[in-house]
Amino acid sequence: MERRDFLKQSTLASSLFFVPNFVKAFENVSKSTFKHKKLVIIQLSGGNDGLNTIIPYTNDFYFKNRPKLAIPKNNIIKATDELGFHENLAPLKNLYDQGYLSVINNVGYPNPNRSHFRSTDIWQTASSADEYVTSGWVGRFIEKYGKNPYTGIELDDSLSLIMKGENVNGIATKNPNILFANTNTAYFKKVLEQQTDAHLSEHNLGYLYKTMIEAKSSAKYIYETSKTYKSNLEYPNNPFGKQLKTTAEFINSDLDSKVYYVSMGGFDTHANQVNRQSRLLKTYSESIAVFVNDLKKNDTFKDTLILTFSEFGRRVQQNAAGGTDHGAANNVFLIGENLKKKGFYNDAPNLGNLDSNGDLMHTVDFRTIYATILDKWLQVDDASILNKSFSKLNFI
Amino acid sequence: MKQKHIQHLYWRASFGIDVKQFESLKSTSKKKIVSKLITDSKEFKNLELDLSEFDSIKYKSYKELKDKFTEEELQKLTNKRNRKVRDLNYAWIYRLSEPKSLLREKMTLFWANVFVCRDNDVFFIQDYNNTLRKYALGDFRVFVKQIAKQPSMLKYLNNKQNKKRKPNENFARELMELFTLGVGNYTEQDIQESARAFTGWTHKKNGDFYLQKSQHDFDEKTFFGKTGNFDGDDIIDIILEQKQCARFICDKIYRYFINPKVDKKRLEEITNIFYKDYNISNLMEHIFTSKWFYNDENIGVKIKSPIELLVGIQKVVPVTFDKKQQLNYLQKMMGQTLLYPDNVAGWKGGKSWIDSNTLMFRMKLPSLLLSNAIINLEEKGEFEDSFEKYYKGEKQRNKYLKITKNWEFFDKQNQNLSSKELIDLLILSKLDKDTATFLENLEIKSNRNFCVQLMSIPEYQLC
Repeated sequence: MERRDFLKQSTLASSLFFVPNFVKAFENVSKSTFKHKKLVIIQLSGGNDGLNTIIPYTNDFYFKNRPKLAIPKNNIIKATDELGFHENLAPLKNLYDQGYLSVINNVGYPNPNRSHFRSTDIWQTASSADEYVTSGWVGRFIEKYGKNPYTGIELDDSLSLIMKGENVNGIATKNPNILFANTNTAYFKKVLEQQTDAHLSEHNLGYLYKTMIEAKSSAKYIYETSKTYKSNLEYPNNPFGKQLKTTAEFINSDLDSKVYYVSMGGFDTHANQVNRQSRLLKTYSESIAVFVNDLKKNDTFKDTLILTFSEFGRRVQQNAAGGTDHGAANNVFLIGENLKKKGFYNDAPNLGNLDSNGDLMHTVDFRTIYATILDKWLQVDDASILNKSFSKLNFI
Repeated sequence: MKQKHIQHLYWRASFGIDVKQFESLKSTSKKKIVSKLITDSKEFKNLELDLSEFDSIKYKSYKELKDKFTEEELQKLTNKRNRKVRDLNYAWIYRLSEPKSLLREKMTLFWANVFVCRDNDVFFIQDYNNTLRKYALGDFRVFVKQIAKQPSMLKYLNNKQNKKRKPNENFARELMELFTLGVGNYTEQDIQESARAFTGWTHKKNGDFYLQKSQHDFDEKTFFGKTGNFDGDDIIDIILEQKQCARFICDKIYRYFINPKVDKKRLEEITNIFYKDYNISNLMEHIFTSKWFYNDENIGVKIKSPIELLVGIQKVVPVTFDKKQQLNYLQKMMGQTLLYPDNVAGWKGGKSWIDSNTLMFRMKLPSLLLSNAIINLEEKGEFEDSFEKYYKGEKQRNKYLKITKNWEFFDKQNQNLSSKELIDLLILSKLDKDTATFLENLEIKSNRNFCVQLMSIPEYQLC
């Protein structure tokens, strides 16, 4: 971005970057203007096979298309006359029984793109299939309503597109102590102390200085604030479990962060899907169960909404390698205490009416879910973040 | 040639230049320097590990091995062999700082991020890596066809599972999306039809390409408006007929070698050159001899990739890692591990190298390598098909790197430089005004010390 455009576009420019002591300015921004609601987003990346997750176990098309991959009726945790949970999703079924889960079926977008990267970009930027957007929808939320980078935290070492705004990004960290120690190096402090203003002369150099400043002040805030609560629950011993544990610590420490993003990989099951997906679903559901308990214990579950999506579902028909290829529409999970429509939000997928590629057709645009969350949960102007107005759903 | 211009050329065509090299080139013309870069890269040697200890299991079928080894012995041997991929990674990094075949090595690294592939079989991935090296400056058409037949690629993008009547579209899709045309420049039908053309493409146990006729679809396919009994090679030919293919590759070349911000007119200029014959060497020569390549707007504006950063530092002060796995750790922390790309789209590059964590780590890297600073970061796990591997995150906190530094090499070249000269040598980007003042007021204890300090400012992240 050109310096001029940057100046024009950055609403924060005058108040944050271009005053002397601009480093401090970050720390002095007033507390957030909205309430305590938190959103946790989980991406099952690689394209989770939704049909073998929430299984249409009475549908002949399902068994016909998947002679080797269909899950036998006896191994399914039945939920309704039509749909059942994968056997490794018992903890999720438990949340369902308590009314904490809403499953939205057939979520997607027109002209689905079956590339992981493009489809992930579409989900993360909230763009249409034929539109290329360089900022993420959470990034734009952070930029417009959060003021501080740490309004959005990604539980990882690097930042995904979803958390990137035009001029302000979210913060990535798996461990606040380490982040703090690294930004607090004496020499860097000296370099920054010298700055009378940020010379955002060239786009990449300006970006580097700005990132340094943001990192320093955000790391300090996250480190100091998150010390107040340490979880003593036992999470599954894997990175996903750890990420959720840290998320719970952030939420229970009342960090002024609104959105947390966690990605769990491994769902690209072109070959030998059965065992791989089973293990992944187990990891997912067991970790979520502990996470929900942790929040409940601290009375923060009522203020937390958990959204789980995957960039696409997989083809209805199995392939020759005991796996599935990239598909289209898929189910989305919402977990929380305030769900209006508990259980299944809408009809099961129609396996008799596929698109020309043999994939499930979407009946719910994923952006209507975002619009609903932004409007009803985070209570901000969804259209200004999604760059378009979408109808709202009725799940919260 | 101007000092800045030689440095610029050597940063883009290689990993920087030292004082001695640069003294020897000062009075040479641009044309000659570029031509020397290309000529010096004509000859090359393959990157090859000594893998003879695995001869007993190399290319053998499971059945053959069962007679020879117990299950446990075999597992141990296979694991040991797979761990060799890491040794190949170290060997590759050392190769990058060698003063031979500079341009070819830089291009090999570039192509590794175009034809992205991953394999844990060290024999196959070594072949794949050397295929990149062999064609790095050659004929792009042959290059694509050879890459498509690499056993590692056939495995990585599931073409081994691409069978008649049950096509697996993974390879066909990525071939167009990521290797040749870019999203939006083909239809879903093109993918389905071309996937059929690649059915039955597989490899023998020894890695040789092999067409499994019973699984190949010999029927008519319609691809980009053409109809015929196409096979995979035909599909690649038809793709290359699209000018978009030349443009797509040139766009990548532009962002990597020239400027992350693409000038459409210049892009069209180099696309026309490349489209003529798909000769990579000619394309690079055209770029490096162009006047506009040396415009100020192109100098010092690119964010170094982690490998460029790491190798660049090593060229100023050569270092040897006493514990090789620490080299792996550094790559992981900065988000670029050679031979282990994140996914088939490769590393996005540019600004995406930089976030709060990576930037802090990158700025700390010179003192980690050269001044015995301590690491306190956790290693990043990997999201990849085997989730179990992802589970095993080692803890590496508060560790020193065990490194032997060749400061004598640095002293010999740089001892007598003034601080201004040292700045000019190490920093290609424009200096931030306040940082320039900061540096002026810095008490300089020694050139060694000042070198580390210079490498620790944001400007050093750019080339």
